Amino acid sequence: MRDPRIYGLLAEFDNVNDAIRAARSTYAAGYRKIDAYTPFPVEELSEAIGFEKNGVALVCLIGGLLGGTAAFVLQWWINNISYPLNVGGRPFNSWPSFIIVTFEMTILFSGLSAVFGMLALNGLPMPYHPVFNVPRFDLASKDRFFLIIFSSDKNYDPTRTRQFLEGLNPISVAEVPS
Amino acid sequence: MSSVTVNSVPLVAPEVAQTIHQRSIGVGILFGVVSLVTALVPQTREQFFHSYLLGFMLWLGVALGSMAILMIQHLTGGWWGMVIRRQLEAAMKTLPLMALLFIPIVLGRHHLYVWTHPDVVAREPHLRDITSSYLRIGGSPGYLFLNGYIGRAVVYFAVWLGLAFLLERWSREQDSPPVQNLSPRFRTVAAPGLILYAFSISFAVIDWVMSLDPYWISTIYGFIFIVGECLSALCFMVIVERILVRYQPMASLLKPKEVHDHGKLILTFVLLWAYFSFSQLLIIWAGNLPMEIRFFTRRLNSGWQAIGLALVIFHFGVPFLLLLSRALKRDVRTLVWLASWLIFMRFVDLYWYIEPSFHKTVYLHPLDFLVPIAIGGFWLALFFHNLRLRPLLPVYDMHGQEFLEYVGASHA
Repeated sequence: MRDPRIYGLLAEFDNVNDAIRAARSTYAAGYRKIDAYTPFPVEELSEAIGFEKNGVALVCLIGGLLGGTAAFVLQWWINNISYPLNVGGRPFNSWPSFIIVTFEMTILFSGLSAVFGMLALNGLPMPYHPVFNVPRFDLASKDRFFLIIFSSDKNYDPTRTRQFLEGLNPISVAEVPS
Repeated sequence: MSSVTVNSVPLVAPEVAQTIHQRSIGVGILFGVVSLVTALVPQTREQFFHSYLLGFMLWLGVALGSMAILMIQHLTGGWWGMVIRRQLEAAMKTLPLMALLFIPIVLGRHHLYVWTHPDVVAREPHLRDITSSYLRIGGSPGYLFLNGYIGRAVVYFAVWLGLAFLLERWSREQDSPPVQNLSPRFRTVAAPGLILYAFSISFAVIDWVMSLDPYWISTIYGFIFIVGECLSALCFMVIVERILVRYQPMASLLKPKEVHDHGKLILTFVLLWAYFSFSQLLIIWAGNLPMEIRFFTRRLNSGWQAIGLALVIFHFGVPFLLLLSRALKRDVRTLVWLASWLIFMRFVDLYWYIEPSFHKTVYLHPLDFLVPIAIGGFWLALFFHNLRLRPLLPVYDMHGQEFLEYVGASHA
């Protein structure tokens, strides 16, 4: 049934409320492999297409923990084992003074892992993406809202899915070649 | 009274505000009478004033913190501030009560401040310095003398009441049509107002709390209190939100996104509190000077260290980890538990700052709870009274209609 030359069906909407309503109907109709493209972030739309969680938070947390631990262990090792130095008679393991660097490294590593984790999980950089084969898709960064049903969805059918999308009051429906 | 409505629901506070108002008066009178009796009994009089200062600082924090957040929201805008603006204003309007409640502190000064005892001052060279020659200008006495103490308190309250008066008056102007753009006027007061607040509260806590131990100084002290006050205010706002969201109109005005924002701000202030508190410890620990470490040697020994450790874990550690959860921050029904807990930790933090000044070993008196509850009763009564006087949303604000559309849109 699945045509490998077809990436999916793209519906175009001229306002955010139509797009949200369409996304909700699409999800309710049983389609799961769907996505939406908008000129600005629309939180309700993410919810409507069934998007719940991404891995960025977890990557960020792990990065932060690693950075913090590394910073503390490094300072501990330097001050206790590698090069113990008597500073004003304080104990070698003066943990309060290690906290600042530990804190900064936690922030640095969680920040970096958030950025690079986001890029990696998004599959970026991505030199080729099939949706750009549809000329009107340029408007997604101006004033149009797009909803796509991927051909990999188990309910996808070239004619029935097209009819379904056309019933959602879009401006246009286009087949996306892969 | 305004007849403003949203989807034909009036914007006035629900009946529950009246109920809480009445019960709070009851609690205030009940605990107030008990506290007053202990103030009259010579054996407990001293403890009464210690606990009174604790309760006063706790509730003053909610009122002043609310004013600070209100000014921040006038400067930044955003829907998170729109839904709590009237609650913040109601809390700010309790400041006249706090000014009145300051009088007992002046009356009980001998039970609080060692520098008010002339015989002790005569014995101690350092106290002589700060009461007679330190910061001396011309023929005037030093920093810590009674008239200076009272005079400065008058200035602090004049600043706070003046700011509150302006912010409240213009806000009332906005309660009737037509829509006016008062934002520039609010901003003109809010920007210098925040600076004035930071300076005045810093000096105020030096006078009222830090001078409990006149030998000790810390330069980050004011900031720790500022952050604590903003945290108290935001947590209180979340609790009020939880009560109001059960009824109209707040049921249709409050969205998870704004609750999420309040949760994020609480996380910010929890982090800032930990950051400033730790900075104070680190700087004093690194300096290791006898005059400075006396604060921590007192508070990290003889049982007080347990309270200090509890603060690290329950004022910072656990709330921080919980607040990392997105789901917890978005749901006011879960966030309210954490907010209530943090207000209690604000109390513990103030207790750890104030009570060790009088007791070398860990010490807790029932009055430490009774008096703050008494003050809180009257404070809450006034807050909920204020809340009922005004519609719960500034609809005639420049962005009022926009907000209603936003709320309606995400409702459809």
